[in-house]
Amino acid sequence: MVQLADETRNKISLKENRIFDVHSANLPGANPGQSNHWDFEKFKTQLKINVIKIDDTDMEFDLIGVDAALANALRRILLSEIPTMAIEKVHIHTNTTMIKDEILAHRLGLIPLKADASLFEYPLDEDDAQSSENTLVFKLRVKCTQRTDAPKGCSIERQLNNSKVFSGDIKWEPLGDQANSLSDVRPIHSDILIDKMRKGQELDLVMHAVKGIGKDHAKFSPVSTASYRLLPDIVLKRKIVGEQAHRLQKCFSPGVIDVCPNSDGEEEATVVDARSDTCSREVFSHADLKDAVELYKIRDHFIFSIESATSKSAEQLFVESVKVLMSKCDVLLKELDESEQKMES
Amino acid sequence: MNAPPAFESFLLYDGEKKIEIKKDTKVPNAAHFTVNKEDHTLGNILRAQLLKDPKVLFAGYKVAHPLEHKFVLRVQTTEDHSPKDAFTNAITDLMSEVSLLEERFKVAIRDKQQGIE
Repeated sequence: MVQLADETRNKISLKENRIFDVHSANLPGANPGQSNHWDFEKFKTQLKINVIKIDDTDMEFDLIGVDAALANALRRILLSEIPTMAIEKVHIHTNTTMIKDEILAHRLGLIPLKADASLFEYPLDEDDAQSSENTLVFKLRVKCTQRTDAPKGCSIERQLNNSKVFSGDIKWEPLGDQANSLSDVRPIHSDILIDKMRKGQELDLVMHAVKGIGKDHAKFSPVSTASYRLLPDIVLKRKIVGEQAHRLQKCFSPGVIDVCPNSDGEEEATVVDARSDTCSREVFSHADLKDAVELYKIRDHFIFSIESATSKSAEQLFVESVKVLMSKCDVLLKELDESEQKMES
Repeated sequence: MNAPPAFESFLLYDGEKKIEIKKDTKVPNAAHFTVNKEDHTLGNILRAQLLKDPKVLFAGYKVAHPLEHKFVLRVQTTEDHSPKDAFTNAITDLMSEVSLLEERFKVAIRDKQQGIE
């Protein structure tokens, strides 16, 4: 299918069984008389960023005028290439609880830590000695004991001290001069349940946290999730009134279609908020409504949603992902220049 | 049991270069760029940027096998341009795009926060 009219040129059309025009046709030489050459000035006018929602940990914003490849690259970097600190090595002195050593160590690694990874260096190799530049040391020492003052006949958990081990029990041990340069290093949430114990069981662990990226292990990923979707567009091709209008409203997510009385007194359906639609294409299962609606997605309008799982806010993470992409391009350029110099000499 | 260490997907081996360039002998003005320890994150944006260059006749990339962490980018240009120049221009254009994105993003955040206050 060829898109000829200018305003539909950047729309992906969703039909009943297929999706058309997924890839942009705006390449150099595609349309005679149209120069689609890469032009920085044109990009400057097309690029728009609107922040919709922002708070301490989450953020939703619109990225308009960008290629899908760039939006996806930023999403992939947010997921896997931004460094964070996480517990890597656990030295277990005593573990008499019911949870096996390796399971316990795995759970500890997944606990998000409140530490800025940019203040640390990567560990040099597997057996590198811990130093204050690349390691954080934490201790967990909990023993479960019987409470002498518990009333008779209450639940087992109430009769015991420390029957549940939470992430708030993890204590930081500053190394070297970390006590002066860092403050408030701890797990972000203090109510993560790590382990359960009964009388006489004990946990005595020393944990080393290092810097890593999500590609190495998912525990280093700084986001709980980072995703984007394209802006949907719904076009009603004819007037839809009465019972059909109500059925049409049910086909889309709530709030997308509004049914109100029009000037003739009939109840007419209008598209009020295409953005919140989740594009289920349910309308195509109704034989009489199939031809009345056209569903599109705008190809270069990305609705990004980022939820941070570290102490950094979502917008700081996005800025970092942009910096990581720049440094990757830098590395490539340097390599190309070096190889060119080698060939000349 | 046979799983390779995860860090192999982004750390270069000893003596391994980041980019290896091989001229394509089958057609004029074409080259294969093998970028090691990178994946679709870079490959796709480089290919998309190269396609916007009017002097580039062919641009495509592939990750030949998911267990080998590298991608091969094939570029063919017109006679007056070289694949390496096209590649370098694509990377510089990308960097200017991305830095503009960063600026605009920071402005948008500032506007939103000022709007709240």
